Amino acid sequence: MGVLNHLIAQQSVWQLPEGSRVLFATLIVLGAFVLFLGLIPVLQTLPPRGRRAIVVIITFLAGLFFAAEFFLPINWTAIFPKDDPTRNFLTPAIQPAQNVLQIIGALALGLGTFGLVRLHLRNVVQKRAQWGYSIVLLVSFITMATFSILNTLAEKEIVERGPVLERGFSILFDYTLVQLDAAMFSLIAFYIFSAAYRAFRIRSIEASILMFTAMLVMIGVVPLGAYLSYTLLGLPEGAAPEGANFLTQVQHNIGLPKIANWVLTQLNAPAQRAIEFGVGIGGLAMAIRLWLSLERGVT
Amino acid sequence: MQERTQSVWQRMLGIDRRWLYLVLFVNIVTFLVAPIRMPASISPPVQKFYDEIEKLQPGDLVMISSNWSASTLAENQPQLEAVIAHLMRKQARFTIISIEAQSRDISYRLAERVTKDKGYQYGEQWAHFGFVPNLIVAIKGMVNDLPNTIKQDVRGTAVNQLPVVRGVKSLSDYKMIIDVTPSGTLPIWISYSPKNVPILYCPTSVMAAEAYTYLDSGQIKGMITGAKGAQEYEQLLGVVGLGTRFMNAISFSHVLIILFILLGNFAMLMNRLQLRREG
Repeated sequence: MGVLNHLIAQQSVWQLPEGSRVLFATLIVLGAFVLFLGLIPVLQTLPPRGRRAIVVIITFLAGLFFAAEFFLPINWTAIFPKDDPTRNFLTPAIQPAQNVLQIIGALALGLGTFGLVRLHLRNVVQKRAQWGYSIVLLVSFITMATFSILNTLAEKEIVERGPVLERGFSILFDYTLVQLDAAMFSLIAFYIFSAAYRAFRIRSIEASILMFTAMLVMIGVVPLGAYLSYTLLGLPEGAAPEGANFLTQVQHNIGLPKIANWVLTQLNAPAQRAIEFGVGIGGLAMAIRLWLSLERGVT
Repeated sequence: MQERTQSVWQRMLGIDRRWLYLVLFVNIVTFLVAPIRMPASISPPVQKFYDEIEKLQPGDLVMISSNWSASTLAENQPQLEAVIAHLMRKQARFTIISIEAQSRDISYRLAERVTKDKGYQYGEQWAHFGFVPNLIVAIKGMVNDLPNTIKQDVRGTAVNQLPVVRGVKSLSDYKMIIDVTPSGTLPIWISYSPKNVPILYCPTSVMAAEAYTYLDSGQIKGMITGAKGAQEYEQLLGVVGLGTRFMNAISFSHVLIILFILLGNFAMLMNRLQLRREG
């Protein structure tokens, strides 16, 4: 009872005395597992409508909690004068809720990994089409995971960082994964080049304007644009002096970098803003539909 | 039946794409190794970024959100290196956080290498908070209670034991947030981070167009756009880094793309004229 009172007073298992801490943490983790594992068969026995109702209620309450915490006035002292002025009464519950979300996020990663491994193991066992690639994936996965976990443990000084680990992780991560990933992405440049040559055709006024503007920006944003404008053509760099005549002002503003910046800030930005407003309103509508479980697929 | 021979214009239009790939490859390799250095014109967003960091005082604390993986290494690595170099020059303290699993290792190893060269001490002057799976949750948590949200750094040290964040309770205690990312994380930082902490942004070139609205509204104080922005930043810092080296290849690749677009259109036009002449 004393430990329980202490737990309630401190609001954290980690602030308990050393002896009780491990026991209570273990009990809490085991209890949570038993509870959730016990809930699964109970949920399975429910009819689909009952299951849907549970998902809908939990989704609505979770959404309501975060929305209420965000929108309720921060200065709660107007109503409860003794409360902390920097937070409302829901704020202290945010931290545990966020811990739960972090754990769910981590579980989703684990679930994805489990699904991937199970699929490829099945490919290998049943010798499905191209099962050799599945072996490559599984071997790469196990090797990389082993070295990554050992490397993380070495960073935390739980295991010793020997030369095999140091060299092995470096070969796998720096010289294999990073390089392959970068190489894969860089292929896009080749596709863009090919597509630009084959598909970027001036077939209308709009296409011509688009192409001309794209060319100006493409040259204007790279150092070559500055070289052409300021070194080769000798245009003045920087802003025109105050009170300068029209011709001087024009000269100061027709450098390719200036034009590119003008296109980006004066043409692109307003268009982007309009798009973002549209996306924002659409996102809000979608969020409300998800919150109220009006979207299809909520079962 | 005799096959009709293709005109030069038709052959140009139907060129095997592998020739195009080869031309681009040769162009990139040539200008990566060529000792040409063209000075960049400093764009206003980069100048603002630089000026904002110049305002920092020694010991000020900066949060770097590094969310890039190897796929955008060519753009985000020069940015992060230049930014860390500037922060160290200003003797600012910094912490790094990643919402991309691969970035946790990439940014940690990069920062370790760069700081070691300058004698910056881990734990004292910088630290890496590791990988968090959900940025919204992490930011909201850090705003309320940073040590209890992060709990420990990549080396397993409890955050409240790290001298670099001694006395830090919340994200509000930071002087600046810098988001180095190829993803749409900026609106999340803008929405959930404390309003008194300025945000600086390092996107890839393709993401930059969307960010000009935030620059206009003052919600971000400066922006380094891709490798091109990194080159400008290196120029402001007076160093030759990856950005400067990459920009030659990028510059001439842009020229090559423009030339080939014009060439493609010219071939199409000439082919049409020829077909019209032949009835």
